This record gives sequence, structure tokens and C-alpha cells, in this order.
Amino acid sequence: MNVNSKSSRVSLTLNVNGVIRECHVASTTTLLELLRGEFGLTGAKRGCDDGNCGACTVLLDGKAVKCCIMLAPQARDRHVMTIEGLGTPERLHPLQQAFVDYFAAQCGYCTPSMILTAKALLDEQPDAQEEDIRHALHGTICRCTGYVKIVQAIEAARDAMA
Amino acid sequence: MISSSPLAMAAFEYLEPTSTDECIEMLTHYGPAASLLAGGTDLIVKLQHRALRPRVVVNMGRLSDLRYLEQNDDGSVAIGALTPLCDIERTNCLANGLDAIRQGATEVSCVQIRNTGTIGGNSCNASPSADTVPPLIAVGAEARLLGPKGERRVPLERFFRGPGKTMLEPGELLHGFHVPPPPHGTSSAYIKYAIRGPFDLAIVGIAARVTLDAERRIAAADIVMGAVGPTPIRAQKAEQLLVGETANEKVIGEAAALAASESSPISDQRATAEYRRRMVEVSTRAALRAAIWGSRKPSVTATIVRNSSPPSALLPR
Repeated sequence: MNVNSKSSRVSLTLNVNGVIRECHVASTTTLLELLRGEFGLTGAKRGCDDGNCGACTVLLDGKAVKCCIMLAPQARDRHVMTIEGLGTPERLHPLQQAFVDYFAAQCGYCTPSMILTAKALLDEQPDAQEEDIRHALHGTICRCTGYVKIVQAIEAARDAMA
Repeated sequence: MISSSPLAMAAFEYLEPTSTDECIEMLTHYGPAASLLAGGTDLIVKLQHRALRPRVVVNMGRLSDLRYLEQNDDGSVAIGALTPLCDIERTNCLANGLDAIRQGATEVSCVQIRNTGTIGGNSCNASPSADTVPPLIAVGAEARLLGPKGERRVPLERFFRGPGKTMLEPGELLHGFHVPPPPHGTSSAYIKYAIRGPFDLAIVGIAARVTLDAERRIAAADIVMGAVGPTPIRAQKAEQLLVGETANEKVIGEAAALAASESSPISDQRATAEYRRRMVEVSTRAALRAAIWGSRKPSVTATIVRNSSPPSALLPR
């Protein structure tokens, strides 16, 4: 162990939306700051900045996490998926299409988190029922309170993907 | 350019040991100037708010030997400190008498936090309201502490010194938990009482474990109360009252009242002390019933008005 090495900056490699990215950041950089500031991926939102609102949700190795309370190096050598990595404008993912069809976005701030959290749920549990969906969405707050349409959209996407 | 958060953390050095030995060496070298990072769901928030200003943050993320969850042949269970709460939630090696641990993990915050946060972190953060701690104490878990002088095992019950304080010495880390096999006829439950469900911190959290003999008399009882004292506390008088009794509503009610008198809650933004004490009684009754008869309060979900077609289908094309 070399405890005298200055390591207030950290180098790391991670896979973001299928692309290997290398970066060199201050040790205090959160994964959210890295994605938004360094990589320009602004789909993950800064809301409360302390792990409550869920607007910063991304998938880390396929699991939903709140990246405002993760240090960037915690994602070292791991796969990060942001909303930019799901579907394309020409070919939306079934969840994105269902959110359009069901008017499941109002202001849109929580939408990337809602969709990614739902993706992680349906990947693990393709037949998730309403109760499972509501349980999974517990950590993402919609301040427009549009939960009914969000749940309906996820149920429709589930059925479309079945 | 990276814009800094309004809650920017104070600078620290970042270390990422690749073995427990190296981690212990770093912790020994830096002592109280170092903070250990497991999942980070509590630590990063404290750094953001500058409630903690460590000189060094030691990330345990690479210590994959601290991530385990196995049942041994004798029925005991070994749980590694870095096991994420979502793994505890989904495991089938915490059946019967140990189910309270799984229930406690399920009650921690939300999916995202359970995917990141670890069961060891839930103990080391030493919040009096930690949801996995009363269940672990109730089932007699031992904490395995690893330090420069080797390993020592202590009952988890003795691990906590106060809010945010544990008996970890400088250089020591929590390796994991040893959970002894539950005696035959044992079952357990954890009841969390919070205003906004799991996402909220517990106003009261009660773990109960009950062993019934062949005549359905109570042979052993453990009741551990969270969020109603500086550390999780055992309701000893209530436990003693139950032993030897036949399980029925009357004796459960008496034990619950006794548990309330043994709690020492404070008033804060979530509840007054008096309210907490009353909810200890209600929640202890519920936890004992759930342990003895297996009934848990069903979760409440809103009713949804169903449309047969998506609303966009009604738009003119």
C-alpha cells in the first residue's frame, strides 16, 4: 500500500450505453455529475441531490440506482445505462412508446427515472403486476402526481413485450 | 466541465483497496480520518451535507470476499457485510425463524437504495431506526469484526454505542454476520411503522422471534425495538413475561404494554415520544401476532380506474 500517493483525482473506465469511456475526475465527483457534466448525458436529472427524489436514476449493471449519491469511481468497470441508451427517436423502446401513448409524462422531469426503473423491473419480472410496479416505483417521485398513467403505461409496455 | 453541486463535498483522498488486508492496513494508517464506503447510500449524503469531512474515503467495492449469503449444513447462515439489501430481500436461505431479516431488508427505503445499500452498512451507519438491525439482534446474530489483530466475534446487540457510534476500533471493519440456526418451532417477524411506507424512516420498528413448544407454549421470546432509544433495545421484561405462557391475545397484549414501558423514545420531526411509546405497543402486538400466527398487515394500494385503450387513441389522426 502506498498511502502517500495523492489520489484526490481518480482515473476510471466504465461502459456507458455500450460505449467504453475513460475519464479522470475529482474524487468528490458523483456519478450523476460525471454523466451530465463530462459526458453530456442530461437524461438523468439532478433533483434533491440526496437520494430522495429518484430523478437521477440510472441502471448500473441492469439495476436501478440513484447516481446522485454514488461516487463516480463506484461505477468503475461497470455498465451504466441512461435513458439516452434506451431506444432511438426513430425506434422507441416499448416502454417509451407506452409513455407517449398513455400521456405518462407531464413535466417530464421524473420520466427517464420512471422508464429505467420500469425496465429493470420488467427485465427481472416480465409479468410484474400493478402491485409490483407500484412497489418498484416507490423511490421515484412524480411531483405532477401522474402515477396512474405511469402505471398504466408500464402495464401496457409489459403486455406489448409479452 | 463538471458543475459542482450546491451541496459540494469537501475534498478527500480516494482509496480503493483490493483485499481486506490492504483495507485494514489503510484504516489502521488513517484511523479516524478515514471513512469506509460500502454502498454509500448513507455516507455520500453525509459527505454532501458536510456532516462528515473525512480526509480519506476508503471504498470497499472491490472486496468481493465480503459479499456472501450462504446457509451452512447446521442451518446457520453467513451474511457478508457487503451483501446488497436487494439480495437479502430475494434470498430463500432466510426461511422460517430467520424471515424477520428478509422482512427488515425489504422495508429499507426503495428499490434503488436496496440495490446499492448493504446489510453491513445498515449496521455500521448505526442509525437507531435501521430496519435490518432489530431482526438481526432478535435472531441472535453475531458480528464478525476484522482488524489488525485478527478477527473477533461479538453479539450484534453489543455492537452499538449510540446514534452513529459502534464498537469498531480504528483499523477494524465489519466482515459480516453469523446467524445461528433457529431452534425448532421458531418463527420471526419485523413490523415497521412509518407514515409514508418503507421509503420513510421508521417511527418504530419491532422485531419479534418466538419459539413454541409441542404444546404451543412459548419456550423463548425475543423482542427488539428500533427507533425508540439511542440504539436498538431489547424489551427484556416483555420477553420474560411471555416465556412459559400459552400464546394468546391476552398475554400478547400484556407483553406489548410492557415493551412500551421499556422503550425510551425521543420527540423529533417524525413523532413525539408519547406517540412513539403508544406505537411500540401497537407494533409489538402486531410483530408477536405475525411471528406466532404468521399474519402480516396487507399493504395498501390505491385503486386504479382502468381505460380499455390508451388515451392517445382518442386523438384525431
